[in-house]
Amino acid sequence: MGDGFEDFLKSELAPPDRTPDRQFAMRVRAAIALEERLAAHRSSLVRGLVKQLVALGAIAAGLWWVGKAAPVASWFAGSPAVGLGVLLAAFGLLLALVGRPEGRAVGGSLSKLNGS
Amino acid sequence: MPHGNDEDHALSQRAARGDSAAFAMLVEKHERPLRGFLARTFGREVADDIAQDAFLKAWRAAGQYDGRARYSTWLTRIAWRCRVDALRRHRAPVETDAPAVGSPALSAEVDDMLGRLSERERASLVLCEGHGWTHGEAAELLGLPLGTLKSTVARAKAKCREMWEGAEHG
Repeated sequence: MGDGFEDFLKSELAPPDRTPDRQFAMRVRAAIALEERLAAHRSSLVRGLVKQLVALGAIAAGLWWVGKAAPVASWFAGSPAVGLGVLLAAFGLLLALVGRPEGRAVGGSLSKLNGS
Repeated sequence: MPHGNDEDHALSQRAARGDSAAFAMLVEKHERPLRGFLARTFGREVADDIAQDAFLKAWRAAGQYDGRARYSTWLTRIAWRCRVDALRRHRAPVETDAPAVGSPALSAEVDDMLGRLSERERASLVLCEGHGWTHGEAAELLGLPLGTLKSTVARAKAKCREMWEGAEHG
C-alpha cells in the first residue's frame, strides 16, 4: 500500500535531481593528474637511485680491479697509506660526479639560456 | 551483462588504458547518486572527500571492473571501503549525524530522522528505499547476512515512520 510516508521517504532518499556537477568532475580530474605526476616523479626517483647504485658498484669494482694490478699493488705495498688516500680521493670524486642530480646541470643550463 | 553495464564497462576499460576523458564520463554519470548516498549516510562535510577518494581508487582499479555488477554498486563498494579506512586511520567516531543534501525544508525533516538512526540503518535505508538497490546488493556492501539486512531496513523504516507520524503527518 503506497501512502504519504512511502512517497516522502522514496523522494527524499532518491539521488538528488540535478545535472552532473562538472566542477566536481574537474576536481577528480585534477586529483588524478596530480597523482599521476607524483607517481611519475616517484618512479623517476627510484630509477635514478638504481642507476646511481649500479654506477657506484661499477666504480668500486673498477678501483678494486685497478688496485689488484701488479704495478699498483707493489706501489701499494710500498706506501699503503698514500695509496689508500689516492683511492679514497678518486672514489670520492667519482661519487660526487655520479651522485649529482640530473636536473641540476640542465637547470643551470636553462638559467644561463634565460640570462637569469 | 545488462546494457548499462556494457557502456560503463567499455568506459572503464578505456580508463584502464589511460583515457581520462572516458573516466570523466563515468564521473559525471555516477557522482550524483554516489555523493547523494554518502551525504545522506555520512554527512555532507565528508561526502565529497570520500567520493573523490573513491573515484581516484576507481581510476586506479579501472581494469578490475568486469561489468558483472552495476558500476554504481562497484563504485559504492569502493567508497564504503574508503570510509572504513578513513575511520581506521583517524579513529573518528563510527556514528555520525546525517546532514543535508537537496531541498532545505523537507531535507531538514528527513535529515533529522536519519540522524537518529545508526550509520548501518541509514545506509541500508538510503540504498534500498532511495537508490533502488536490491536487498542482496546492500547486504553484500554492508557485509550483512540477507536476513539481517532486511530486518535492518524494516527497523529503520519503522523508526522513520514513527517520527514522521509524530510530526503531524499521520
